Amino acid sequence: MVSRKKQSILILLGISFSTLLFVSISGVQLGMREYISQVLLNNTAHVLISGAETKISHADMTKVFSNNRDLIKWTDLPFGLREEMRLENYSSWYQLLEQDPRVHDFSPRLKTFAVLSKDKFSSAVNLIGTIPEKTVRISSIEKYMKVGSFLDLKDSGSVIIGSGSAEDMGLKVNHYLNLILGSGVTKKMRIVGIYHFGNDQADRTLAFTNLNDVQVMTRNPGRISEIAVSLFDMDESNSISKEWKKLSRDNVQDWKEANQSFMEMIKVQDYSRYFITITILIVASFGIYNVLSIMINQKRKEIAILQAIGFGPEKILRLVLYQGLFLGSVGGLLGISFGYLVCLYLERIRLNIEIGGEHHLWISFDWKIYLMAFLSAFFSSVFSSLIPAFSASRLMPLDIIRAE
Amino acid sequence: MIEGYDISKNFGFPVQRVLHHLNFKILDGEFISISGRSGSGKSTLLYIMSSLDHPTEGRLILDGKDLKFLSSKDIHYLRNTSIGFIFQFHYLLPELTVIENVLLPARNLGLIDSKKNDAFELLTFLGVGALVSRYPNELSGGEQQRVAIARALIMKPKYLFADEPTGNLDTMNANIVMNMLKEINLKQKTTICLVTHDPDYSAFAGREIYLINGHISERKKDLLF
Repeated sequence: MVSRKKQSILILLGISFSTLLFVSISGVQLGMREYISQVLLNNTAHVLISGAETKISHADMTKVFSNNRDLIKWTDLPFGLREEMRLENYSSWYQLLEQDPRVHDFSPRLKTFAVLSKDKFSSAVNLIGTIPEKTVRISSIEKYMKVGSFLDLKDSGSVIIGSGSAEDMGLKVNHYLNLILGSGVTKKMRIVGIYHFGNDQADRTLAFTNLNDVQVMTRNPGRISEIAVSLFDMDESNSISKEWKKLSRDNVQDWKEANQSFMEMIKVQDYSRYFITITILIVASFGIYNVLSIMINQKRKEIAILQAIGFGPEKILRLVLYQGLFLGSVGGLLGISFGYLVCLYLERIRLNIEIGGEHHLWISFDWKIYLMAFLSAFFSSVFSSLIPAFSASRLMPLDIIRAE
Repeated sequence: MIEGYDISKNFGFPVQRVLHHLNFKILDGEFISISGRSGSGKSTLLYIMSSLDHPTEGRLILDGKDLKFLSSKDIHYLRNTSIGFIFQFHYLLPELTVIENVLLPARNLGLIDSKKNDAFELLTFLGVGALVSRYPNELSGGEQQRVAIARALIMKPKYLFADEPTGNLDTMNANIVMNMLKEINLKQKTTICLVTHDPDYSAFAGREIYLINGHISERKKDLLF
């Protein structure tokens, strides 16, 4: 009993369009988020344990000279970091992480600054000393290896550099380069692999080598600066990091905390996505309300006769609600189908820029987007049908028959 | 049996009394007409008898049940199963075919399949058996009204209430409809209450309630009790 065909089709299009918009905007936004998460967050670790940075205080320095504070007068107060960041009690952390059933795996690292040098070319990088088997287990880095394997780092004297650095310096796998630390220590390293994150900055400013090599070069055997932890459930990272923070003075940071500005950006994206969708759905809901109200007004006679032959108010209510449900479900289904096609199309558009190693947009096809889009269309249709349905069920047959 | 005790009906503000303390009894299987001049309260009385309206005062007993004490659900069930309506206008649903319109009351009770044959028989009996797949706008006025009669009879109601069913028909079709009502009354023993202002059609009934300004005419009162 779908009446007012033109208006109904228009409303159907309105609901479909809003659902389509939600699906496609969500597909693009969540696709980008997936990309950023994979490239940045997954390589950051779910929880990062690092040494607390201690700063020099004049009270501590005073004690070095005399126990009597009054004897020392500072003309210029000392300041700055006491020493480079380091994780002192890492063996206790190892023990804890090995026993915690929520921990998937962990990887100790030692970070320092270095310069890659080859002939007259050089490039400043963040050098990360790692245990390759562990790093592969806690991150998706192996996926981004353009040439070679990350596991090739297990041999001493090997290094993995980014595609940007390799291109700038004309380097390939099995080429040699000099690795120079800030202290002046230099070591000749063989390139065993080239990674490519598809992020220009990351592809030029990171280099990986074996943890032992960095410890030897920095003359700090056994020293590590941080432990990257991978959890079975990354959504637990916040609660677990809070729990671990209480155990030590070391810095414990979950991936959300470490990427707070990114998380804020995600929030803003979500708000804008929901705002657009809700606005369109409200407009479509008013349309449904309008169409059903006009329909009820035009069908007063028919509603009256239905009541006269025994259709009770609840049945009339159901009849009108079914129309809203019909518009909502068909509009929702059409919207998610067309939204899916739009997403497929967007994914195929070739871009001149590179995003995550690909030349097209990252589009998310997560089923939750489609479910949410359909449910929004469905429930907004139900709600907008309620008032017309109630008013139809309250019509008195006699008032209408008498008015004829 | 339909019994009315001290039935009065008021309308509007300032209050206008349309029916004044009416008492009547209609036996099962009777064919009665309610007649009178325009504004005498004929239709109002019919609507009260048929549960579509409530009296301001008095009691209306249908099949031994006081309608005042029935729930809305019970009244709708009663209308669905025991009462048939025919109005001056056919009120067929334009989106439904003839057969779908006739089966509407059965649809409400989920009895479409079991009532299909009855619907065909009824439509054939009413002379519109060949039009089952047509839509109401493809029928003549007389055919539309006959389909409306079929819809009113599909549940084999005990009571049939007809409010000027010939009002929109030409004489020929009006006579056909009246003869059919008479036949239904005789064959199926359906109690029929017919509102008409035409004395010729009133003559089809066995008894007549004649209303003058909301009062039952003295002349006819002896026929009621």
